[in-house]
Amino acid sequence: MKRREFLGGAAASGAVLTMPAFLSGCGIQQAMSVADKTPENPFMEWFGVDQATTARVMSELSASGADAADLYFQHSRTNFLTLEDGIVSSASSDIQQGVGLRVVIGEQTGYAFTEDLTLPSMLAAARTASAIASGTRVVAPQAFSEQGAGDLYKTAVPWSDVGIDQKLPLMKFVESQAKSMDEAVEKVAVYWADQDERVMIATLDGRLVTDHRPMTRVTLTVTARRGEEVQSGYSNIAAREEFDWYTEERLTTMVREAVDRTMVLFDARRPPAGEMPVILASGASGILLHEAIGHGMEADFNRKGVSIYSDMIGKKVAEPFVTVVDQATIPRERGALNYDDEGNEAGRTVLVEDGILKSYLHDTISAKQYGLQPTGSGRRESYRYAPMPRMSCTFMEDGPHTKQEIIESVDRGIICETYTNGQVQIGAGDYTFYVKNGWLVENGKVTAPIKDVNIIGNGPESLKRITMVANDARLDTGGWTCGKNGQSVPVSQGIPTVLVSKMTVGGENVG
Amino acid sequence: MSVDLKARAAQAVELAQQAGAEDAWSTVTQSRNVQFEYRDGSLEKVKDTTSQSLGIRIYAGGRYSSHSTTDLNTERLQDFIAEAVAITAALEPDEYRRITPEALFRDRPGDDLDLVDDSVQALEREQRISWCRALDEVAHQHSDVISATSGVYDGTQRSASASSNGFLDEQRSTYCWFGASVTLRDEGDKRAEDGFYAGGAHVADLPGPEEVGRKALARTVSRLGSGKGPTVKASMVVDAQAAASLIGRLLGPANARSVQQERSFWTPLIGEQAFSKVLTIVDDPLIVRGLASRRYDDEGISARVLPIVEDGIVRNIYVDTYYGRKGGMQPTTGLPSNRVVRPGSHSLAELLSEVDEGVYVTSWLGGNADGTTGDFSLGLRGHMIENGEVGRPVGEMNVTGNLRDLFSRLELVGNDPYPYSSTLAPSLVFSGVDFSGA
Repeated sequence: MKRREFLGGAAASGAVLTMPAFLSGCGIQQAMSVADKTPENPFMEWFGVDQATTARVMSELSASGADAADLYFQHSRTNFLTLEDGIVSSASSDIQQGVGLRVVIGEQTGYAFTEDLTLPSMLAAARTASAIASGTRVVAPQAFSEQGAGDLYKTAVPWSDVGIDQKLPLMKFVESQAKSMDEAVEKVAVYWADQDERVMIATLDGRLVTDHRPMTRVTLTVTARRGEEVQSGYSNIAAREEFDWYTEERLTTMVREAVDRTMVLFDARRPPAGEMPVILASGASGILLHEAIGHGMEADFNRKGVSIYSDMIGKKVAEPFVTVVDQATIPRERGALNYDDEGNEAGRTVLVEDGILKSYLHDTISAKQYGLQPTGSGRRESYRYAPMPRMSCTFMEDGPHTKQEIIESVDRGIICETYTNGQVQIGAGDYTFYVKNGWLVENGKVTAPIKDVNIIGNGPESLKRITMVANDARLDTGGWTCGKNGQSVPVSQGIPTVLVSKMTVGGENVG
Repeated sequence: MSVDLKARAAQAVELAQQAGAEDAWSTVTQSRNVQFEYRDGSLEKVKDTTSQSLGIRIYAGGRYSSHSTTDLNTERLQDFIAEAVAITAALEPDEYRRITPEALFRDRPGDDLDLVDDSVQALEREQRISWCRALDEVAHQHSDVISATSGVYDGTQRSASASSNGFLDEQRSTYCWFGASVTLRDEGDKRAEDGFYAGGAHVADLPGPEEVGRKALARTVSRLGSGKGPTVKASMVVDAQAAASLIGRLLGPANARSVQQERSFWTPLIGEQAFSKVLTIVDDPLIVRGLASRRYDDEGISARVLPIVEDGIVRNIYVDTYYGRKGGMQPTTGLPSNRVVRPGSHSLAELLSEVDEGVYVTSWLGGNADGTTGDFSLGLRGHMIENGEVGRPVGEMNVTGNLRDLFSRLELVGNDPYPYSSTLAPSLVFSGVDFSGA
């Protein structure tokens, strides 16, 4: 779909790196005025509704029948700041508030939303969403029972209480560090983002789930010059964290990465093109799991039979030392969630256990169809969208080998370290990821730096070709965003050092 | 949809000035978007939404900030704007942050772009369902179909802007798209998948749903039995649909922001013979019923035809007011509209017949480019070219090179621009391209 966009920023650039284009922001006040009534729940107060209003809207939503239905109230405020050319001269903020209304009957979904949280507007949206159904009224709850608040990313100081005056010195610190690390550094830009998000989900089966989700990300771009040659690189860190997370040490590590990744580009070349062994360094290489298997395990694709993994549950797909997990319950990770966006408790799903394909990632619709419990994987970008099965934090557990053993086993191949983006075809299983930085491996030794190559493989084939897994698993600290079907959600990924015995590497110097 | 958006935008500017801003520019948007999707013979999803938001750019004390919200409650909006002005004071002053000068928006073209189709606004549920059925039926006319999802997507958009220095205007448009995506059973556990989408501002400009469904199915059938091609240096024929995305990558860093921030390979190319003489690209916001046509851009700058590349020579890049001032460039527009690649005289069949050995690319899979250097590497799907004709389907391959170098190897341009994208590009033929495969 190509749609025109009228509001907002500059031209979208070709690069896929999802980085805020403009920045800035600061402290806030409460966005909603407090209603006269005495609501039972601070989130209800925030959204200006109460149990009776919510029940009334739910009743309208299910008036023509429903297997499941939900109201997804959301309020988010995101603040951005930009430092370019030595000054922070641009701030921006964005408030998104609305309620999404969904009716599910079998595999059918009716969806509407409104940004006007008054009863008449919500009732009108409920009637629109319920038009998918043509059955008889189901009994909607008269009251909703509050589920316990999660504790994965509790914050002492919400972002609304942090002013620009606190953020600005940190951005200046990052800039000065970057400039001092190498005299070839010519331009430095620092992009700050923080977000407070509140969601409240009321379900047809009478649950009321609330979640306060913080998020922050700092991105640094560096441009360096040697003679006529110009190179640029970047790094970023992101988490469901608060202001104190940004220690000097953490920021300095990020700056070091950005400067190192940039300076190495002056000496980096393209590898030879073609098939070769590929070593994936620990951390960000979890992008392999996201693309090669994660998406293919999302149950919406499988219940429709369109995924290459549709008929593989219970089968051996990898060596016995390969275990792949999707887990939302890792505290403060970018992909962490207390509850998913359908109000189900988020959890830990083992996709591959000791080489055997175990479980898909389910939302309410697919779980019902498979006769299983949802895995808490129903996510959505915002109140504007219906949820679907999504990943959270996807990683591979440690294996029996060491990084050194893996490198020594390769005669001629590459090791990949940093990435910008990836993609997959669910049915064919072909997937790609773009390697920004890496190294040639020759005769068991890491030799020259490489850059800018796309790598392509086939999911099930690559899983079979994971011949070594090291014991150095770690999650990446970068700010990854998954864009399935046009809906962006924050995710995390991680992996130990891994050897894939054969993949197709983009390259030059074809004979 | 009868709200006076211009009055709302003007009121927001007034509020900002009352709160202490010297200048302000506000844009209010309202849209209705409807989505009907059919899957395998039955209605799967209906989404019908009306949405609104307000954005405001604040200039106060030599400082700048911008803000947006979907909460248009009058009282809260007042607080929101007052706070926005207060935030601005906490920033550092920047002499280049100024409101769009009146001279840049004074001579806006008249409203004869024909971007509104009243019949879109009048569409009924039954009509949408009937189109979905037609798409769905045709998309299933193959024995190996596992699943096909067909959809009708339509809507209306309105956007009004007001500024403290006299801008007040509104733009409207409608859109309607038909689309289908198909999955076919292939060898082993593999599925072949592809699709086709067509859309425009007017329903009358669309092909029938049967034709869209047929193309979606045909594109998918052509993927059956796809294998890996060789690692080879050869010619590359890019079909019109895939060419649009490649042109988008080329133009990605062709803007003042990237140049001023020293992250653009276009910097040394301005005014130079940078690319092949057969390449001409024009940004044309004035195409009647064009997908990205407009009378003014997001800063209010009057729409005009802007040559980007003429016969391979770089004539202009996209320049917004801020980075233009900062980088010493005259503003053109910071926001691309319809990007038109000048077509050649040859059909796709004629282009293919010129190629001895090569790959015909029909879509990309992942990949990226470094905007600073132009180095790129992209995954591809397509076919081998055998004896000047489309041969066996291939995938799981990459093409790698440098964008400037690639577009200096552009040999031929087709006469078949792809109409369902705001980048109107025909088929393109490049020589000496590095492919990696088996």
